[in-house]
Amino acid sequence: MTEEKNWHTHRDAKNARLASASSLFNGKFAKTEDVVEVLNTLIKPGDKVVLEGDNQKQASFLSEALTKVDPERVHDLHMIMSSISCPEHLDIFDLGIASKMDFSFAGPQSTRVSQMIADGTMTVGDIHTYLELFGRLFIDLIPNVVLVAADKVDREGNLYTGFNTEETPTIVEAAAFHDGIVIVQANEVVDKLPRVDIPSDWVDVIIPADKPYQLEPLFTRDPQAITELQILMGMMAIKGIYAKHHVQTLNHGVGFNTSAIELLLPTYGEQLGLKGKICRNWELNPTPTLIPAIESGWVQSIHSFGGEVGMEKYIAARPDIFFVGKDGTMRSNRALGQVAGQYALDMFVGSTLQIDQWGNSSTVTNGRLSGFGGAPNMGSNPTGRRHSTPAWQSLKPDDDPLAKGQKLVVQMVETFGANKKPVFVDHLDAEEVRKEAKLANVPIMIYSEDTTHIVTEEGIAYLYKTDSMEERKAAIEAIAGVTPVGLRSNPEEVKKLREKGIVALPEDLGVRREDAKRSLLAAQTMDDIVEWSHGLYNPPAKFRSWS
Amino acid sequence: MKNSFVELNGRQRAFALVDENSGRELVGPEYDMISPHLEPQKIVPESDDGVILVKGTLNGKNVVVISIEGKFQGGGIGEVSGAKIVAALEEALDDNKNGKTIYPIIILDTGGVRLQEANYGLLSISEIQNSVIALKKYVPVIGLVPGRVGSFGGMSITSAVLSYLITTKKARVALNGPEVIEQEAGVREFDSSDKDLIWNTLGTRQRVKTGIADELVEDDVETIKNAISEAIDQKKDAHRTDKADFYLTLLDKIDFSKPLTTEEYRKIFNETKAEKHEIPSAVSSDTPGDKSRGRLWFEKLTGIKNAKSEYPTVLAAEVDGKEYIAIVPDKNNRFPRVRNGEVGLQEGFVISKIVNKIVEEDKDKEVKRPIILIVDVPSQAYGYKEELIGIHIGLASSAAAYAKARQAGHPVIDFIPGDAVSGGFLAHGLQSNRMIALADKSITIQAMSKASAARITQRTIAELEEATKHVPAMAYDIFNYEKLGALYKLVHDVSSWDANDDAVKEVHELIDEAIASTKDQPTDLRFRYETPIAIESGRKATIKMREMVDDQWEK
Amino acid sequence: MEKLHFEYQNSTPVKKFAHVGVVASGDLEILVYPADGEKTTLDITTGSDGFEKVWQNVLDRFFARYPLNGKFIVHDFGATPGVVNLRLTQAMEALKDEK
Repeated sequence: MTEEKNWHTHRDAKNARLASASSLFNGKFAKTEDVVEVLNTLIKPGDKVVLEGDNQKQASFLSEALTKVDPERVHDLHMIMSSISCPEHLDIFDLGIASKMDFSFAGPQSTRVSQMIADGTMTVGDIHTYLELFGRLFIDLIPNVVLVAADKVDREGNLYTGFNTEETPTIVEAAAFHDGIVIVQANEVVDKLPRVDIPSDWVDVIIPADKPYQLEPLFTRDPQAITELQILMGMMAIKGIYAKHHVQTLNHGVGFNTSAIELLLPTYGEQLGLKGKICRNWELNPTPTLIPAIESGWVQSIHSFGGEVGMEKYIAARPDIFFVGKDGTMRSNRALGQVAGQYALDMFVGSTLQIDQWGNSSTVTNGRLSGFGGAPNMGSNPTGRRHSTPAWQSLKPDDDPLAKGQKLVVQMVETFGANKKPVFVDHLDAEEVRKEAKLANVPIMIYSEDTTHIVTEEGIAYLYKTDSMEERKAAIEAIAGVTPVGLRSNPEEVKKLREKGIVALPEDLGVRREDAKRSLLAAQTMDDIVEWSHGLYNPPAKFRSWS
Repeated sequence: MKNSFVELNGRQRAFALVDENSGRELVGPEYDMISPHLEPQKIVPESDDGVILVKGTLNGKNVVVISIEGKFQGGGIGEVSGAKIVAALEEALDDNKNGKTIYPIIILDTGGVRLQEANYGLLSISEIQNSVIALKKYVPVIGLVPGRVGSFGGMSITSAVLSYLITTKKARVALNGPEVIEQEAGVREFDSSDKDLIWNTLGTRQRVKTGIADELVEDDVETIKNAISEAIDQKKDAHRTDKADFYLTLLDKIDFSKPLTTEEYRKIFNETKAEKHEIPSAVSSDTPGDKSRGRLWFEKLTGIKNAKSEYPTVLAAEVDGKEYIAIVPDKNNRFPRVRNGEVGLQEGFVISKIVNKIVEEDKDKEVKRPIILIVDVPSQAYGYKEELIGIHIGLASSAAAYAKARQAGHPVIDFIPGDAVSGGFLAHGLQSNRMIALADKSITIQAMSKASAARITQRTIAELEEATKHVPAMAYDIFNYEKLGALYKLVHDVSSWDANDDAVKEVHELIDEAIASTKDQPTDLRFRYETPIAIESGRKATIKMREMVDDQWEK
Repeated sequence: MEKLHFEYQNSTPVKKFAHVGVVASGDLEILVYPADGEKTTLDITTGSDGFEKVWQNVLDRFFARYPLNGKFIVHDFGATPGVVNLRLTQAMEALKDEK
């Protein structure tokens, strides 16, 4: 006879922690001013803690409070974050509160992340894609505590996360059903919610925040800053990729190149007679630059990972296009969006800081450990895909009876970045960064094997058509301009590649350089976009340039 | 879709305004007339120096379009670009005088003075204003502020002297940019990161409602052309610098110690009816006023002890048939931003009334009364309310009054014992036909404080000081200023703070000499580039540009 | 700021003046005149120092394709090679238009 095993140690521990803090609670609610003490009591050394923060929405009230906990009581936390976006996300490492980090994206803090790893202040578990990180929350990174943000909460503790729902339900689910503690900061406590996004059953503690959570209009690009070269590349892409492959379902990464394309659809795309034939269904953050295409009838549907500041009213008025609840606000969902982005799209178009001679690309450069967010999910060919679309089929090699199609993964770059650094390099900085940061793998964002097209101002390389690595390299060289990689190209070889359809220059596509003018953009200013939106789009003040 | 005018570059804009195939560019890029002052400061020049001149027709009428390229150095006015504008305006003036009607159109897309050529910029801008005022006797001079730069600094003062100002909503008009106000007066005075505040205050939607611009049009080439054409046909004129009584009445109503919103100001503006203001002369008193070089010399030259006046910052009095005018500090002034002697909202309007009255009184006289400006102006006033109300209109009012007086034959003589900075100098000093300055180290003569100039040109103060060593126009002292050739006389044996009897006697004599030197001479500002120093070195590029424009004016 | 000078032996004579571009941030202007002598000359004033080799490469490629024999003056305010190439091509097109 053995003693009966206790199968609910996690639940016991959770209940003990909540009991020890019970004096701070009135039901599920704690007072704003008690936030630090709540965290001091509920978080234990070594806990795995998810702090909600993606590249747009930040649980900023809780992250600031976490910097104020007592490092004697709370230390050696293992932080799990989609995005390291705010200084306080790293301050907790300097303060000895946290010691380990698993993350996806470091954006604005990427330089400091590099520095902290070098100094030994931070240990990195791994750099992930969003989907991987979400997946691991249910496998081997099951959180003890999650700290998340909600727009509104009712008296019973139901949450409304609304327009910026993003990844909150995913994080909460991982904790709520495995005896982790769910702590929520709320912008507002109300009697009645517009809708319930997360039921109160899943929530343990609610703390009204002193100010609304931080929100960045990260995907908004001001058309005023779109250059002629970006327009040229956009025209090439529309003709040489979107139209050629009949791309109907797609994602655009964040950047001016894709904003240019969005604004060319109602003008250049219309001229080419492509409306209804391409760009119908989107997985995309609600970028304002897509408004002219939506208004001109190009777009059938858009599902979004997250919200975008200023787009609320416009989206509410376009429920045919966006995923909008009965209450009139969109529900975004990053995890489902990433699934869609990986499996349900014909094409991903992104940009990068470096591409090597073989076609691998990365935004990790010397001194900047930026991570990748969602690009590797969408920028990869999911071998588990079974459904077919014309675009997917168009990449199928014809010499193999068992062949299947492939997702289009397109990189769009100017050969030299704005800092005049060459984008095409023999070796990615990421190779060095791997050594410095002691990572198991080189932090590559999109692998050569997944990259089907590269577009530069020089032309398009159709990499999927190459049949050897040598040919792939030659195709990249042909469009790499005067970068060290591009200088290896020679005219005879380029001629051959053009004949085989592996490389297309603007003239091969019938795109005239002199037509690449800003007047071709459906909107040239933010104000034009507001006009297209019938006044429904309300751009953040930082984009204001008119009276 | 609209055909955006704002999208076009400066050259395209100039050609867009004239009838198809009628445009001819003068001194175009092929002449590569770059600024000689930029490369020594390691700044890349432009072949047209940022100003494009196109002669042509608009609806069949002869026009000359002067287009400032806002993308090159923020549309800043330097020596070459300034001379190009002035030369074109003067050619147009001559044509109109000779019965050949031609309408100047100025596209303002400019931050004002090009700070890398600071004192040249100030001289040029005053010369532009002079030409515009002379031209207005013959034809309306139409201004267009399309955006995106807008019209700032000294060129906002120019915008106020133009007959009629057409704008789009993508433009702003103000004397001081928000960054400069924040630098000079603090973030609480004006938060330059608050874009809503900036656009609601300085944006043209507010400006057309409060008399700073006249017409807001769509950003569309045809719409803009039609608006200009109509303004020319109807000889539209806002008479913006003739509204001193209106503004003095308006200013009487505003409490400068309290906040003022854009809506509140619009209400006050709409409710204000001009009341006649009398400006009595300064008189002596028992209490000394706040010390300044300007006050010291005003009192010594006029013999008025402890001069006081109803408008405490403006001292004016006629002595021995000469009118002396000084702007002085007043520690307790109800306008907080002028307490150190800056030229603010009220000063310009008060001076314009004084000067216009003199011109009116002397209009039938053979010999016109000389007007002596005692110049000691540390700057224009930097403040939110100043910009909301439109301080540049005040400064333009006094500049226009001085220019009109000079053009009517009044000798307008500067005596500079103190600072001569920026908008303050444009309003009170730069419209004179002779400048006498003391060779005194205490004098600062420039377009912007070092701190602000460094911020705007994105240099450190050390870098800025290094640049001043190579480029006299960048310097802050009177000795370098002399090298530009604009001075009538630099007085070496008199110092700013020592107005002893001998010194006063000498200055009196020099003023009389200067007055005599204007007899039967042109009443414009050409003296400045015709001095031996100017010809030899100071204004070589100006002179060259004037010759080229003259050569190319007729086909 | 840096001043660069390049020379080429090119075959297609430039017959007229042409001008493209603005000295705006990230942009440049190009002035093209008929050649003074036999050589094609380029005098470049650039705001970005240390890119002589990159300029050389851009020009080598451009002239290999369009061997314009002329005198070029360039005022560059930090244009990328892509923008330089675009403006050179536009200058070439402007010359064609005028012929």
